[in-house]
Amino acid sequence: MDKPKPGGWGLRARRRAAHAAIYSTLVLATLVMLFPIAWMLTVSVRPNVEVMKIPPQWIPTRFTLEPYAKVLGSTRYLRTFLNSYFIALTVTAVSLVVGSLAAYALARFRFRGQRSVIMFLITTQMFPLVLLCIPYFRLVVRLGLYDTLTSLIVVYTTFTLPFCILMLRSYFAQIPKEMEEAAMVDGCSRLGAIARTLIPMSFPALVGSALYTFLLAWNEFLFAVVLIESWGKRVITVAIYSLLAEFVTEWNMMMAFSVLASAPLVVAFIFLQRYVVAGMTAGAVKS
Amino acid sequence: MADPTSLRYGFRHEVQAYRYLGPALLLLGLLMVYPLFQVMRMSFFEISVRQESWVGLANYLQLARSPEFWQAFVQTVYFTTGSVLMHLVLGMGLALLLHTKINTQIRNFFRGFLIIPWLLAPTVAGMIWVLMLSPFGVLNGFLTTIGLLDPNATINWLGSPGTSLLSVTAMNVWRAFPFFMVMLLAGLQAIPEELYEAGAIDGTTPFQKFRYITMPSLQGVILTVVLLDFIWTFRAFDPVYVMTGGGPINSSQVLATSIYFDAFQKFKFGYASAEAVVMFLVLFAFSVVYVRRAVREIG
Repeated sequence: MDKPKPGGWGLRARRRAAHAAIYSTLVLATLVMLFPIAWMLTVSVRPNVEVMKIPPQWIPTRFTLEPYAKVLGSTRYLRTFLNSYFIALTVTAVSLVVGSLAAYALARFRFRGQRSVIMFLITTQMFPLVLLCIPYFRLVVRLGLYDTLTSLIVVYTTFTLPFCILMLRSYFAQIPKEMEEAAMVDGCSRLGAIARTLIPMSFPALVGSALYTFLLAWNEFLFAVVLIESWGKRVITVAIYSLLAEFVTEWNMMMAFSVLASAPLVVAFIFLQRYVVAGMTAGAVKS
Repeated sequence: MADPTSLRYGFRHEVQAYRYLGPALLLLGLLMVYPLFQVMRMSFFEISVRQESWVGLANYLQLARSPEFWQAFVQTVYFTTGSVLMHLVLGMGLALLLHTKINTQIRNFFRGFLIIPWLLAPTVAGMIWVLMLSPFGVLNGFLTTIGLLDPNATINWLGSPGTSLLSVTAMNVWRAFPFFMVMLLAGLQAIPEELYEAGAIDGTTPFQKFRYITMPSLQGVILTVVLLDFIWTFRAFDPVYVMTGGGPINSSQVLATSIYFDAFQKFKFGYASAEAVVMFLVLFAFSVVYVRRAVREIG
C-alpha cells in the first residue's frame, strides 16, 4: 500500500532528505559562526607577513610556532598568565566557600528578611560595573591597595558571589534535609554535616558555579584596567589589549596569546559542558 | 534543647541563618551598597584632587545640555537593541535546528562547538575582530575576492564614523549569541511532547505548531533572556573600549565608555558620577521587572 507514487518521494527518502538538509544547514552555520576562531588559530601559526593580504592567504604557506615561542619565552607575558591563574583560582575558592554558607542559610532556614536578601542578590547582578569603578578607585587608593592583586581578588569575589549563592541555593534546596539531620544525630556539628553530606551531594552545582566564577574572573577587563598599573601585576586581558597598543603589527603573536588565553576555558568546558549548561539554565527554565 | 536538628522558625535559627549569611552580606554591603550611595553623593559635588565642593544639580544640568552625553545614550540604545535582537534571531534559529530529531551526541557536539564564542573574553573576541576588520584584513579580502569590493577602495570598518558602531555591534552579536542558543534549546526541550502530539491529531501545519505551541511555551524563557541580555549589553564596556575606544569622533561611544573617559582621563569624577547615576536608573527600571519575575519563580 505504501508504494511511492510515480514521480513522488517515498516516506523514507523524504525523511532522509530532510535529515540531510538539517545536517548541512547545521554544518554550514557552525562553519560560519566559528570562522573567527579558525582565523585566530591559523593566524597564530603563520609568519606575520602573511596576515594582512588582499586577497587573503587562507592557508599559511609556512607553518611556524614562533609566535607561541615569543609569548612563552617572555617572562613578562608568563607573569600575566600566572597572575590571572592566581586571581581566578583564589576568587573561585573564596566564592564557593562563602557562597555555600550563604546558600545553606537561604535553603535551610526560614528567617525574617529572607525574601529581601534574595531580591538583593538578584539585583546586585544587574549593577552597572562602571558605576562602581569610580568609588572603588578612590577606596582602593585610600586603603593603599592600588596596583595590587588583592584589590582585584576582593572586587571579583564581590561580583561572582551573588551568582554562586543563587545557583547553590536552588541546588541545596532540592536535597532532602534528612541527610544532614542524620549526620547531626550521629554527632556531627552542623558545619560538619554540611561538609560531609550536602557538599559531596552538590558536586554538579559546585562544578558549574566554579567554572562560571572562573570564567568571569579570568575574562574581566574593566577593573583590571582601573585598579592595576604596573606590568608585573597585569592580567591577561589587559596584556592582550596592551599588545595592540605596543606592537600594532605583530598580529600572529597577539593571536597566539589569545589562543593561550582562551584554551583553559575551552578545554575545561569540553569536559564539563553539562554542568555549566545545567547551571546556566537552572534559573530561567522551569522544569 | 528539644531537638538539635529542628529547622523550625525561631529566633535561635534566625540568628544562625544570619551567621551563615554574614560574610557574604558584609562583603556585598561594603562593596555594592556603600559605593552606590557614595556615587550618588559624588554626583552632587565637583571633585578635584584636593577638595570637593557642593554644586547641587549642576552636574546633572551640564549632562542634560551635553550633546556628547545624548549621542552616547542613543548609541548605547542602538548597540543594545541591535545586539539583543540579533542574539534572539540567531539563538532561536540555531536552537530550533539543534532541537530537530537528531542524534543526542551529535546535538551535544554541535552545541559544544557553537558555545565557544561565549567563552572568550570580550577583549580576546574584540581583538580577533579588530584583526579581521582592519583595512587589509580578511573581511575586506573576502569581499574583494567575490567581487563586491574594489581592491583599491577597501573599507576601514572600525576607522570610519559610519561603520564603527555597526562593527562593534556585530562583534558583540557574535560573541554572545550562544547564551540565547543554550537557553532557548533548554526551553524547547522542556516543552512536553504531548502538546505536539495533540497538535498532530488536530492536523496542524509546522508553522501553526511553532506559532501556537512552541512560542507560547517559550515566552517565559524568551522574556528572561531578553531582559538579562538587555541589562548586560546596556552596561557593556569592554567591546567598545578595546575595538574603537569610542571613536572615531565619538561615533561608537556608549555610556559605559563615556563614564570611564570622563572619570579616568578627564578626571571629572563628579560629572562622571552623575552620568553613572543616570545609567543606573535606566538599568534599575529593567532590573525591577527582571527581579520580580525571578523572585516569583523562586517562590
